[in-house]
Amino acid sequence: MKIENTKAQMRKGVLEFCILSVLKDDDAYVAEILGTLKDAKLLVVEGTIYPLLTRLKNAGLLNYRWEESTSGPPRKYYGLTETGKLFLKELDTTWSELHNAVTIVTSQKTTKK
Amino acid sequence: MNKTVNINLAGIFFHIDEDAYLKLQRYLEAIKRSFTDSQGRSEIIADIEARIAELFSERVQNEKQVIRIKEVDEVISIMGQPEDYLVDDEIFEDEPQPTYKAKSAPSKKLFRDTENSYISGVSSGLGHYFGIDAIWIRLAWILLIFGAGTGILLYILLWILVPEAKTTTEKLMMKGEPVNISNIEKKIKDGFESVTDTVSGVAKNVSDSVSNAAKQVDVKKGANSIKSSSRTFFDTLGDIIMFFFKILAKFIGIILILIGAATLIALIIGLFSLGVVDIIHIPGLDLVDLANTGNTPIWLVSLLAFFAIGIPFFFLFYLGLKILINNLKSIGGIAKFSLLGLWLLSIIALVVIGIRQANEHAFKEYHIEKTQIPIRAMDTLNIKMTHNEIYNTGFNRSRSNFKLAHDDNGGKAIYASNIEILVKSTTDSIATIAIEKSADASSYDIAIDRAKQINYNFELRNKTLFLDSYLTTDPINKYSDQEVDIILYIPENTVVLFNNSTKSFLNYRKHDGNVISSKSVNHHMRILDNNSECLDCTEEDFELNIDAEGVKINDDGIIINADDSHIKIDENGIKAETDEVKVNIDSNGINIKTEN
Repeated sequence: MKIENTKAQMRKGVLEFCILSVLKDDDAYVAEILGTLKDAKLLVVEGTIYPLLTRLKNAGLLNYRWEESTSGPPRKYYGLTETGKLFLKELDTTWSELHNAVTIVTSQKTTKK
Repeated sequence: MNKTVNINLAGIFFHIDEDAYLKLQRYLEAIKRSFTDSQGRSEIIADIEARIAELFSERVQNEKQVIRIKEVDEVISIMGQPEDYLVDDEIFEDEPQPTYKAKSAPSKKLFRDTENSYISGVSSGLGHYFGIDAIWIRLAWILLIFGAGTGILLYILLWILVPEAKTTTEKLMMKGEPVNISNIEKKIKDGFESVTDTVSGVAKNVSDSVSNAAKQVDVKKGANSIKSSSRTFFDTLGDIIMFFFKILAKFIGIILILIGAATLIALIIGLFSLGVVDIIHIPGLDLVDLANTGNTPIWLVSLLAFFAIGIPFFFLFYLGLKILINNLKSIGGIAKFSLLGLWLLSIIALVVIGIRQANEHAFKEYHIEKTQIPIRAMDTLNIKMTHNEIYNTGFNRSRSNFKLAHDDNGGKAIYASNIEILVKSTTDSIATIAIEKSADASSYDIAIDRAKQINYNFELRNKTLFLDSYLTTDPINKYSDQEVDIILYIPENTVVLFNNSTKSFLNYRKHDGNVISSKSVNHHMRILDNNSECLDCTEEDFELNIDAEGVKINDDGIIINADDSHIKIDENGIKAETDEVKVNIDSNGINIKTEN
């Protein structure tokens, strides 16, 4: 069992949640979302995000608008839809619970040690 | 030094080195193949291209700078290898799939392998599925075909039902190779290499290995003649049907050409010969002119007929030619319409001429000349026909027979044989002969004139009446149903003897006051009041026809049927039968049989 695969799978699970979270307050275009995620070391390569964005958009959680750019092609600015906001809220709750659970489990182990 | 390529990436223009371009293209192609249309492939690719364009823009300081392989590598490292895209691929599946990277036996699916096919790739697909060489499957098919032909049906069924392996993913699944980006990219790379290998550059010939690719190219070359790489069963079926339709069409075309050409040639020959006849006046063919009472020039009628019949056949010929030769030049709208117009004009003209011709027979008028002949009751009158050597119709005449010939004076005359003899009884003491001449014309005056123009002669010599067997008239009068009816009014109790030569001019039966029928020739006939009796007829001349119960006597013979006997006398012989004796006399001899 490769450590890389496990890591990737763990990251993958939260990636959707993170993308939605980035867009929680402000609309952003792909490079901005990527910047945030890369800074957080959640993403190594950019390619991963595109199918994901398209999928979220197709699911009606995201929408986008075009904006001209001074350097390069026009940019797609993504934003949350109403459904997306509800979806995010629910994910938020789930994440909190999960985080709690993980903390409890891991801290338990350390105390036992 | 490097060759550069101009590309448009998300609407932005870039100069790019050729090798860098190829690498970028391969990269994008690999990504493209890792998605399906349902995942929004085109949109994802557009987004990725836009991002790559953005990244390039950041790296290009001025418009003249060229994207090199270094920049492409950088961008690829930022965007991630094709494998990295696949990480998200699982997210798309709502149900968790067995992980590809697990080393369990990869699942195989049945597809048609159109790249290694002879007909539709069913066999090679099955070969991949069962992991054996396709040649064994093909041999099995051949055996099945000989086994009552079920193979063909099964093959067609599989052809319809089994999908063709189109995408790289499907091709990998067909061969049971794990579907991961590395494999996909490898396949695409192989495809590119094989394209470079085959200068012809057929299609992206994806194969397992480069060495294999070369081998398969050979197979393809051999197979190309009988297949095209991605065909469905129905395409081929449609082609076969179309092929037969085409052959049928060509066949019809040939028939049309033959019919059209034959008719046209016949018409042209006909027109030519008629035209020649009209100019140089070949004797005998003047008959056409004689019947032509409407006085329309023959050449005009024949020309009109030529157009009226020839033009439709010309179009038939043209149609056949057009079916046979696909890119035949059109004869042009003007030509078509003028031919159509000419045809219509010809038809109209012919109809007008036809009406005029028919009009020539609108009036039939009679001219009657009566002459008394010194024949009284109790006299015996002989009647004979006189023939003309020039116009020798013999005894058998035909009513509409006519002929142009030179008469005794050297002039031309129409000879016709429309002669009829009627015999009527009269109470007068002396016989009368009435010559009733008639002719057709478009008006009363012309008709009566034509009737008068008929020459007909008879002569009484020594109590023998000589009647001409023909009538003559001047050719100017044309042949317009000129007829002569000879009505003989014979006093009662006069005996007449019609010579055999009159037979065909007499009515075949007695009616309407006609007392002598053609059956009475060569017999002395006594004229009675509205009837006649035969004086020298033998029994056989009597018309006997008895048809009673048990007895039947007529022309065929005698048949008598009694309770226990049977007699039959006819042309075959005599046959007499009773319960006990049988007598048979015929060409075989006499045969008598008795019961005991």
